[in-house]
Amino acid sequence: MSSQPSALFDAVVVGGGHNGLVAGAYLARAGLRTLVLEKRATLGGTVETRPLADGKRAPGLFHTVGRLRPSVARELGLRGHGLTLVAPDVRAFAPQPDGRAVTLWADAERTAAELGAWSAADGAAWVEFDRHVRALAAFIASLNAGTPPATSGGSVGDAITGLLLGRAFKKLSKDDARQLLRVLPMAIADFVAESFESDPVRASIAMRAFGFSALGAWSMGTTAALLADSAGNDGGAAGQTVYAKGGPGALSDALAAAARGFGAEIRTGAEVVGVTTADGRVTGVALASGEEIAAAIVASGLDPKRTLLGLLPPLELGPNLRWRAGNIRQPGRVARVNLGLSALPAFPAAGQREEAVRRLRGRILVGATGIDDMERAFDASKYGRVSDALLLEATIPTLVDPSLAPDGGHVMSVVAQYVPYRLADGAWDAAAREALGDRVVARLESVAPGISGLVTAREVLTPVDLEAEYGLTGGHPYHQEPGLDAWFAWRPLVGHARYRMPVAGLYLVGPGAHPGGGVTGAPAENAVKEILADRRKRR
Amino acid sequence: MDIRTPNQGGTRVAQRYDAVIIGGGHNGLTTAAYLAKAGWKTLVLEKRRILGGATTSDEIVPGYTFSVLSYVVSLLRPEIIRDLELAKHGLEILPLDGTFTPLHGDFLWRRDDHAATMREIRRWSATDADAYEEYGQLMADMARFIKPILGMVPPDPTSIDPRDWLGVVGLGRDFARLPERQQAAFIGLMTMSAADFLDQWFETEPLKATMSASGIIGTFLGVRSPGTAYVLLHHYMGEIDGAFRAWGLHKGGTGAISAAIASAARALGAEIRTDAGVSRVLLTPAGDRATGVVLESGEEIAANVVISSADVRRTFLQFLEPGILPEDFEAQVRRFKFRGSSGKVNLALDALPTFTTNPGGSEYLRGAVSISPSLEHMERAYDEAKYGRFSRRPYVDMIFPSLVDPSVAPPGKHVMSCFVQYAPYNLAEGAQDWDNQKEAFGNAVIDLVSEFAPNLRDVIVEKQVVSPLDMERDWGLTEGNIFHGELSLEQLFFSRPIPGWARYRTPIRDYWMCGSSTHPGGGIMGANGRLAALELLKARRTKVA
Repeated sequence: MSSQPSALFDAVVVGGGHNGLVAGAYLARAGLRTLVLEKRATLGGTVETRPLADGKRAPGLFHTVGRLRPSVARELGLRGHGLTLVAPDVRAFAPQPDGRAVTLWADAERTAAELGAWSAADGAAWVEFDRHVRALAAFIASLNAGTPPATSGGSVGDAITGLLLGRAFKKLSKDDARQLLRVLPMAIADFVAESFESDPVRASIAMRAFGFSALGAWSMGTTAALLADSAGNDGGAAGQTVYAKGGPGALSDALAAAARGFGAEIRTGAEVVGVTTADGRVTGVALASGEEIAAAIVASGLDPKRTLLGLLPPLELGPNLRWRAGNIRQPGRVARVNLGLSALPAFPAAGQREEAVRRLRGRILVGATGIDDMERAFDASKYGRVSDALLLEATIPTLVDPSLAPDGGHVMSVVAQYVPYRLADGAWDAAAREALGDRVVARLESVAPGISGLVTAREVLTPVDLEAEYGLTGGHPYHQEPGLDAWFAWRPLVGHARYRMPVAGLYLVGPGAHPGGGVTGAPAENAVKEILADRRKRR
Repeated sequence: MDIRTPNQGGTRVAQRYDAVIIGGGHNGLTTAAYLAKAGWKTLVLEKRRILGGATTSDEIVPGYTFSVLSYVVSLLRPEIIRDLELAKHGLEILPLDGTFTPLHGDFLWRRDDHAATMREIRRWSATDADAYEEYGQLMADMARFIKPILGMVPPDPTSIDPRDWLGVVGLGRDFARLPERQQAAFIGLMTMSAADFLDQWFETEPLKATMSASGIIGTFLGVRSPGTAYVLLHHYMGEIDGAFRAWGLHKGGTGAISAAIASAARALGAEIRTDAGVSRVLLTPAGDRATGVVLESGEEIAANVVISSADVRRTFLQFLEPGILPEDFEAQVRRFKFRGSSGKVNLALDALPTFTTNPGGSEYLRGAVSISPSLEHMERAYDEAKYGRFSRRPYVDMIFPSLVDPSVAPPGKHVMSCFVQYAPYNLAEGAQDWDNQKEAFGNAVIDLVSEFAPNLRDVIVEKQVVSPLDMERDWGLTEGNIFHGELSLEQLFFSRPIPGWARYRTPIRDYWMCGSSTHPGGGIMGANGRLAALELLKARRTKVA
């Protein structure tokens, strides 16, 4: 018994975030009658461009899109649907208290030359470090490219061994292969210390390894996170910095256009409140409006906890899986601040005019002054407090895309870490939100004096706001903490890492599934392959 | 050859040994016993005047015997106890009963009496009591599953010889057959923090904090650091092996374990010399093969194989001339992480201290007493250490060996052993500053314990504070790491001590390792010494008698 003949759709995608749209597009492209349902009035979820009070436009949760899987862009024809990517030649710029800065460029030689000013040894180490990161990240990319192996059944030993000894592993040199197993569980603080001696250099490279997570520089598994962030694209040791023209929302617009172009239907303002089942199989979804839509395939772009505990009838899950799903860790630790600015703020460490503009096009790292400094910011959040010295990753997208500020001026987008979802004292009310905004601007003031006088609009999204706005349980941007306990063949849960949820016909296509979070489209593309394989089997 | 008396004085020795073992700690002695058992002519060289290395006891205060460093046992491999017949050689483990966690105005007391423990936990939380049973069962299952790893020689991950992979593939198959719930628990144990792992089950703070403590012992990690859940399992290893329940004390102090292994080794024909520090390993002129050792006295001893039980840094950087090792290998030795994080405070007492809130009697002091009121207490202790300060309010694990074994103190008097974390070797002011800060460190420990047992100061006769610097200077534990190197995931199994060199061999032919820097790591396990001996015998195709 497959889908009822009356069903208008073969597949329903829950959530019109970027992964939901990727899934919708691939399903429609394969000929399935596909419907994408989005609760909000706009598409894209965390990958959106949102209006500021002063008429400018700013990114949603994510502000760069450099990890988008190239095959997704190509196969869905995103360029033809209006997507233009801009990659400046600077990757990251980290102003330091002494007025100097660590700058990481796309050009490894240039980076090496500038790091030489901090330490001759560090300058000399950069090119080999970049090569090493790229070699190891290439292996991670090969793990990310497909569905993880099953962990049950007679052949898993063979499967894992085969995988390890497989082609990707063999591509590594003998030394890289041995090092891979050593460095994967390492703390990023140790990994960078093996190659670099200058603390600001170490910090500026390391900061990316715990972005969006509740891990610190000394936490094990952060090296794996850095490699994952570098995998698949031109990230390397400096990490990617790529903007979508028109803001990140332009990527979602292109994805929606591609999905529609393949014949998918997309509805906004349509909140799914449940997945309907019969005889252990999915039969469709129920909307908040009371409407029910039949489909044999439901692909959820929501986080795994919401999908399993929020959408499924409790009896379908059983007590054991309910317990495990309830323990999925989603400790949100970032807040977002968007600023409308009347002019470009001056960062003395960036130099003058053209030179400054060039450096400020990348990710601006505030607080990447030393490993211990970053760790202290992390310490506060463990006890439910916001650090006095927040770590900020800021971008000024208007430097590469003035269209975001039609009447002139600039937009600054800031990811602030570590900001705990749960405060030890008090709640995230309006006063706490504004105090956080003030704290972020004050922190910016320390590297860009005068910036507070330029602010014409400000929007602050606390972790609780991110949960309310984007449906992220716990306010976690990656749907589930990216630790080694939720990785590869056991993300989101062991036994359910191959995109199939415990009820036949239900799939997970969001970043709670392998290979995890960020703007990639990868979990959705991988998941659709499994959906289509199951569908072929059932016929 | 049957000359068993060591050569005194002279610089040349006619006799040649099949194997010379550097270091008479429990691993070196275990290796020696196994090699002697296979008929090898074996010599153990110990630098100190007493055997046992860190597994040692000493009469520091007249009448009081301290287990100076290692103080409890649970991991000593049962196959070693059997193979070497250690019971015959005086091994006698006295069980420690339970763990008492004092709090302000309350306490948590878990003990071997299961029903009593369940009542006690239920007093705190009914859901925790239910979870506790389930958790114990799951952990015992997990310990049973992971046990083969302790007896496995790790393959080189780049090896294409399928024989090297048999053990790992077998383990993979076993994993695939586990129920999903156990798979999930195993992955959690290998990757999560102790606090996150326990948070899944329990809500009672002192319960979680006290259980989490076993995850951080000897490591430079906090209870919220990923990678600490793994060690929670060790508590259950002892249980399933049935050798002794959970933790135990050795009669006469921990040193008696080494004495038992030494006695077994001697009975099997091994020679053991103390006050015989090795200064250098002798190599062929080409520098590619070991041929013996030179003692600090200048005496040279020839051997077919030299096996070092010292830690990896001493094994390669102290006993060999610079430039002998391949450059890349030496760089990897240098970056092997030690980072000692613990200290010890041993007290001679006139009488037992009284904890303000206690269940009555002195039964509650017959097990461990753990200062671990909350996860936040544990984590804050770690936070201080990260920046090079000893914890002002540390985690303390105390035992009163004299309650279980009166032979270690004068009649009516007591010995109190405090394991303290964190005492980071690398202080912000430098490791040498430990000599200045040691007194303050000892006082901080006594102050903290006195908060819960106010009469402690009044009953102290004498105290001995052992800093990580002392451990390095006096016991050869580099950077004061009690496990010969951090037990973090990147320094385990395939990668312990160096990726590609996890099979007890070194780049120098006939120079082997058998200490805690090798797989499966530190603790009074003996597994390293046994595996090294078996691997060496296999390589030489010698059958164990």
